[in-house]
Amino acid sequence: MPATIEDEQLDVTFAALANSTRRAILARLAEGAATVNELAIPFNLQLPAISKHIKVLEQAGLVVRGQSAQFRPCALDPAPLEAVSAWASQYRQIWESRFDQLDDYLVLLQQRKQGENKS
Amino acid sequence: MIDRDAVVIERVFSAPVEMVWSMWTDPSHFKEWYGPDGMSIPVAEMDVRPGGARRICMEMNTPDGPMRMWFTGEYRQVSENARLVYTEAMSDEAGNVSEPPSGGHAVTEVQVELQSVEGGTRVVMTHVGIPSDSPGAAGWNMAFDKLAKRLAS
Repeated sequence: MPATIEDEQLDVTFAALANSTRRAILARLAEGAATVNELAIPFNLQLPAISKHIKVLEQAGLVVRGQSAQFRPCALDPAPLEAVSAWASQYRQIWESRFDQLDDYLVLLQQRKQGENKS
Repeated sequence: MIDRDAVVIERVFSAPVEMVWSMWTDPSHFKEWYGPDGMSIPVAEMDVRPGGARRICMEMNTPDGPMRMWFTGEYRQVSENARLVYTEAMSDEAGNVSEPPSGGHAVTEVQVELQSVEGGTRVVMTHVGIPSDSPGAAGWNMAFDKLAKRLAS
């Protein structure tokens, strides 16, 4: 499977999620939109720090900003998370198929072993 | 809901634990089962010790000829007959990891746990999208699980 645009998007999503503050921000936004000021309070972070995290989440497509010029509230966009789910299900199929083959191979090996013991 | 952030597969194989361990760590055995449907494993190099390198080639026959994919990685934890943790990333033949243009990480991590049980060996395989030593990876499962539940509700 050559790298595709989807893979690239997944890398960005995973990178954005690989930070406990950003996951906490998403969990907060899952409960409703919030301004940067509102988000800063529970995380005990300065505004520039929280803005930086939100920018990463925005670039990953996980957060969208409102157009209201003064506050620009942040809202969660769950679409990239659904792509993560697809990543997992794709690998699940591959691994299930591998485990089927492993099962068959182990049976074969043990049959061979038994055959050798008999002869 | 754990399957949203990681692939977890559990299965009991009717074989002793030492035998199942060798399926993961002996290249000659590994090559026999690892290829997903229609793929073969022409190359499997494994330096099975913490920090040791691994390099795997998967080959698929296509109408345009064989397509080869290379994967490189490193062993993180090696506990014989019990636990194996390694990273995996797509790479070129020389083992250079293919950097996504976005600069994001392409490295994933595979954790294999073996346990001797009645009638054979239980294998729990976990494949996660980010290696466990990535910043913020601790608590990843929990946090994501909760987030997924909230999104679903």
